[in-house]
Amino acid sequence: MRDQPQKPPESLMRAIARDLRPVRPSPQPFHLALRMVPLALLVSSLILLAIGSRADSGKLGPLLTWGASSAQFALAIALVWIAAHESTPAGRLPRQIVYSVAAAASLVVVLVTLITFSTSSGNPILPVPPRINEILRVSPWIMGLACGIGSTVAGGILVLFFSCVFRNAIATRPSVAGALYGAGAGLAINAGWRIACPFSTPWHALGAHGAAIVATVILGARIGRALGNRRLQIGGTHS
Amino acid sequence: MSEGDQELRALMVRYQGGSVEAFQEIYLQLAPGVRRYLSHLAGRSEIADDLLQETFLQMHRSRAAYNPAYAVRPWLFGLARNVFLMNRRAARRFAIVHESRQDLPEFPVLPEADRLGSQDEIRKCLANLAPDQAEALLLHHEWGFSFEEIAGMLGISAAAARARASRAMADLRMALNTLQRARV
Repeated sequence: MRDQPQKPPESLMRAIARDLRPVRPSPQPFHLALRMVPLALLVSSLILLAIGSRADSGKLGPLLTWGASSAQFALAIALVWIAAHESTPAGRLPRQIVYSVAAAASLVVVLVTLITFSTSSGNPILPVPPRINEILRVSPWIMGLACGIGSTVAGGILVLFFSCVFRNAIATRPSVAGALYGAGAGLAINAGWRIACPFSTPWHALGAHGAAIVATVILGARIGRALGNRRLQIGGTHS
Repeated sequence: MSEGDQELRALMVRYQGGSVEAFQEIYLQLAPGVRRYLSHLAGRSEIADDLLQETFLQMHRSRAAYNPAYAVRPWLFGLARNVFLMNRRAARRFAIVHESRQDLPEFPVLPEADRLGSQDEIRKCLANLAPDQAEALLLHHEWGFSFEEIAGMLGISAAAARARASRAMADLRMALNTLQRARV
């Protein structure tokens, strides 16, 4: 039972003829993932310049300060690379790889938090008036809120950038693809933010910074889903 | 890379450059296979025609998302699958699709299974297979995709794609043998 070749229907040809402008082919997933690096580094550098490096970086040593952040950054690139694969109809990776890297990223964040806390758990003194330091000591949630909102906003900028890069993507599971690049954005920002943030208690690092990563994952998933619905609206007219 | 695949990639690049003739050629070469795949996924040929048109429309909208490093056929079949899934989600037709699998008008018949029973019997047995296994079986034996290509389309490993297809073939053989024994 083999079908005979048939010409495309008139209605389809009319729709095609309406927009035939030349387009540039999409880059391969790895190149797409590398596009995040300059912007992520820029945002992280701005955070570091604005807040400054944490006071206990000497105590933590270069491995726990820069090494741990580099590992998180590399995982962020891997997550965006997987998101790019997930967005290609013929290039999806096995689910086991997707879930393993996501689990590894979560594990690395928790491990880095615990090791950092066990190495330097002292109460930080910020370069602010003593009265503010006292307020922050009594109400640590204020710093938690500041870090949470700050890194969510910074991560949100990256997610919006990815949404532009991935706007042509045709993912089978757009929410998953979005969540993956959201996780990549959150992790990349956290890699820079943790070098600036002087608080190393698990409550703060996982509660505030972790919540910011979760927020970017949710934001990415929602944007991915919205883009997917818009693109694959059956009978729709979006371009 | 086969000659046909190379030709399709070249056509796709020309199409990305704005050639309507290249689009028509891609359609002529791939539409019949994609239509049969959609017909298998949807289980109803009347939906397959709409989905086919939607698939090519989506291909046009997303033509920039194609990278020449990928083979065109699995890319387009993967896109067709996305269109089907989105359509199913949008219309909440899952139950209807599976209920209607009793009479599949254009369910493909595997060339390998042709000698094991009549076309109707093979269709009936194929329809009773687990959907994910039947899909892997048909993508490999009916449309000629490699297990690596199937893996990329379904988001599974090549080994899992091979296992699904061979499990489906074994189940199909068993079902057809049972039917033959019943006939005797």
